[in-house]
Amino acid sequence: MKPRVAFFDFSSCEGCQLQVANLEEAVIDVTKLVDIVSFREVMKEHSDDYDIAIIEGSIARPIDVERIKKIRANASILIALGACAHLGGVQRLGNQWTPEENKQEVYAIADPDIITDANPFFEQPRHRAVDEIVKVDATIPGCPIDSNEFARVLVALLQGKALPIPDYPVCVECKKQENECLFTIGEFCMGPVARAGCGAICPTHGNGCEGCRGYISDPHLSAQTEVLKKYGLTAEEIMHKKTMYTYRYIEEAQGGD
Amino acid sequence: MSKNEWMAFVERLISDHPADVFGVKAKGEKFVFDLLDTASELRLDYDTTILPPKKFFLPVCEPMLKFDLSKPFEVTSSAVPTPKVIIGVHPYDIAAIKQMDTYFLDTHADASYLDKRKNTLIIGHNVVNVSDKAFFGDMGTGDVDSGYDLMVTDIGEDVVIDIGTEAGEELLGYASDLRDSSDDEAEMAYGIRQGACESATRGLQIGPKGWNDLLSTNYDSQVWQEQADKCLGCGSCTLVCPTCFCYDVFDDLSLNMNTGDRFRTWDGCLLKGFTAVGSGEIFREKIVDRYRHRFNRKGKYIPDSLGFVACVGCGRCSSQCVPDIADPVNLMNALYEASDYDEYADQEADPLTTSIEAADVGSGEELHLPMPATVTRVQMMTETEILLEIQLDSGEPLGHDPGQFVEVSIMGIGEAPISVSSPPGGDTFEIVVRKVGDVTGKLHAMQAGDKLGIRGPFGTGFDIGELQGKNLLFIGGGLGIVPMRSLLNYVLDNREEFEEVTILYGCKEPCELLFGEEVAQWDERDDVQHMLTVDACPEGECWEGEIGVITTIIPKVVFDPENTIAIVVGPPIMYRFVNRDLLNLGMPEENIIVSLERRMKCGVGKCGHCQINGIYVCKEGPVFNYKDIKEHPEAFS
Repeated sequence: MKPRVAFFDFSSCEGCQLQVANLEEAVIDVTKLVDIVSFREVMKEHSDDYDIAIIEGSIARPIDVERIKKIRANASILIALGACAHLGGVQRLGNQWTPEENKQEVYAIADPDIITDANPFFEQPRHRAVDEIVKVDATIPGCPIDSNEFARVLVALLQGKALPIPDYPVCVECKKQENECLFTIGEFCMGPVARAGCGAICPTHGNGCEGCRGYISDPHLSAQTEVLKKYGLTAEEIMHKKTMYTYRYIEEAQGGD
Repeated sequence: MSKNEWMAFVERLISDHPADVFGVKAKGEKFVFDLLDTASELRLDYDTTILPPKKFFLPVCEPMLKFDLSKPFEVTSSAVPTPKVIIGVHPYDIAAIKQMDTYFLDTHADASYLDKRKNTLIIGHNVVNVSDKAFFGDMGTGDVDSGYDLMVTDIGEDVVIDIGTEAGEELLGYASDLRDSSDDEAEMAYGIRQGACESATRGLQIGPKGWNDLLSTNYDSQVWQEQADKCLGCGSCTLVCPTCFCYDVFDDLSLNMNTGDRFRTWDGCLLKGFTAVGSGEIFREKIVDRYRHRFNRKGKYIPDSLGFVACVGCGRCSSQCVPDIADPVNLMNALYEASDYDEYADQEADPLTTSIEAADVGSGEELHLPMPATVTRVQMMTETEILLEIQLDSGEPLGHDPGQFVEVSIMGIGEAPISVSSPPGGDTFEIVVRKVGDVTGKLHAMQAGDKLGIRGPFGTGFDIGELQGKNLLFIGGGLGIVPMRSLLNYVLDNREEFEEVTILYGCKEPCELLFGEEVAQWDERDDVQHMLTVDACPEGECWEGEIGVITTIIPKVVFDPENTIAIVVGPPIMYRFVNRDLLNLGMPEENIIVSLERRMKCGVGKCGHCQINGIYVCKEGPVFNYKDIKEHPEAFS
């Protein structure tokens, strides 16, 4: 019997699931390998009977915590899909400030009355990666994920093989693409510490890597900070460069909230 | 010929062979070798390209094999490449290609490399603009007299063309208005070459011939740590290097779960996972070790093994290194200035003593093509170890020496190096596999009749001839008994060829003891002294042997240290203590034989992963004489 797969979304843009939908005709190959029982973007049916749960999004509100725990209990394999599930996403930057500060910043300027409302939609919760709440069996990093990598991970899971997620920096793939190093033309790039697997897609198109796939397992951060200083960035700018997707690591280094 | 005629020549080449003519083009502010659409794209005024032309012969990522899992064992090699012409290769890159020829064709000529190499014509071009990081003038690689089919020098209105090969001469059939160059023009061309060499000097204080000495005497220099502290470990320096050839191999199974490819792709020794073996051990874990390895490979290890310095002074590494610590000129000068020695000064450049011409190599070997084989018997030995008896489908015996290894393939999963555990001879052979990774995990699920792939046998095993007539002391720890058994069982089967035989065998717990039945037979023999030990015996387990690490039983057996050969095989940590104790007992260094584990990926000394300093464990090992290998700091560190 084919494994049953369900997709779930938490705080996210659902763009990673869109990448899966974008596999197009290869989706047919996927459906030969697994039964998709829940996938909001492509079907209206839903089932709570699944073997593999694929989670997109960061875990934010108390009701999300309860929900992810239930999903975990139902699934034999749980996959974190994309940067929000893997790291907490861009929205995790909000954890730098108190919920009240965020509420003021986001809503009060437009309508000071609205924040006095007890409406739970204006809550400013703390964003967490999935593996900070429940056990995660596999992570597919990226913002968004690479659909081919999704396919390779699926194949590897079914083969019972280690996941083909590289643990070397983006520079490796960038050099293999024969790109002009962005540092040499005065741009900043997270490539030397960020995890490869994306094919260096951003530097290939002239944009510095933002580290959406997180750090490699042993990033040489002190050397990176030296490099940034060499390129004339201030301490504040350095922190800013390091937070877009990777605020999780800073929070962890600070020992959480 | 005139410059216009030269451009017309290139244009005619392109129009006749639109898919096959490559040359230097602009990419942003930099340059790359790429397919030419028109001659006007050619940028022969380039300083250097981002990637060297090695990418044509060892592509960034290339399929080596195709497999189809629905067939019992069907693996086919990838297709022969179409012919290519590469226009604009600088002399230092030609020097690097010559080095590459020697590296890939010296022993086990790599067919995949050779096919591409022989199908490629190189039109060199002497350097017009020198990169500010280049130092080929210091390295003696700015002017080459071979390694090209044609070599072009731009002397202003005209170009001077040197004909390197018959194929190059034939190619000139596309040219018109050719004439013999005058003495003046030849002189001008010479002047241009010399001018480039003179510009490409950067104050290297110690010439390439002196690097070997410099590196040997400064292995522990503070300079390494100082520089490595700034290193990002990104691997860029190795990837852009024209003389870095290391590659990794991986399988990619398509979504149909049936067909796929085995690829090889560039790897680099600066990357942490480079030396990782199946059990998770990483042999060059610290960045300083990896940083030092790169320079030693260039300036010491390759010169020791192949006779040339594996750096041509192109300057790519330093122009791509963000923290600017990859530059060989800066590093060699820093080492030189920090060291107490000055006798290496004024060393001349002579890095071009390569030994192999691709044209002289008839045919290559399909290095990565496994032989089909069948599992004939499986036996679970412990909870984590399984024995597989294997027969090659050709019916031929494996023909291994004791201590050699094979690469075992499961298509779609990968390949793993595994010691042969059975003695030489016989139509089948045995391997014992601990479940640690993907391939070994799948091997554990195998049954008699299942198919797998075998390459090998590889490496240098135990030299039986050297051991005959000697007293032997076997010391095996944990899985070390597996490769050791190939020799041990030969010795026990041919007992009369050897003098005293003593066996010490230790493992962590009684449940990990391997080959229990054979161990029991040692008891019954009066011509073998043996002792067993476990590090610890959990309550409730039955154990009659000693308890304690393996070194605790060495003093409990009787042997003559000065007249005994010790065969020591075990986990990395064991060697340090066992070898120390044997030496303390008075055993000469040359009497200790060890077998070492590293990441043997290709098995034939090409992929670079298994190196202990400059030693390729897959070729020169895994069996080593302690006296020879102890000089290499990475052997037992």
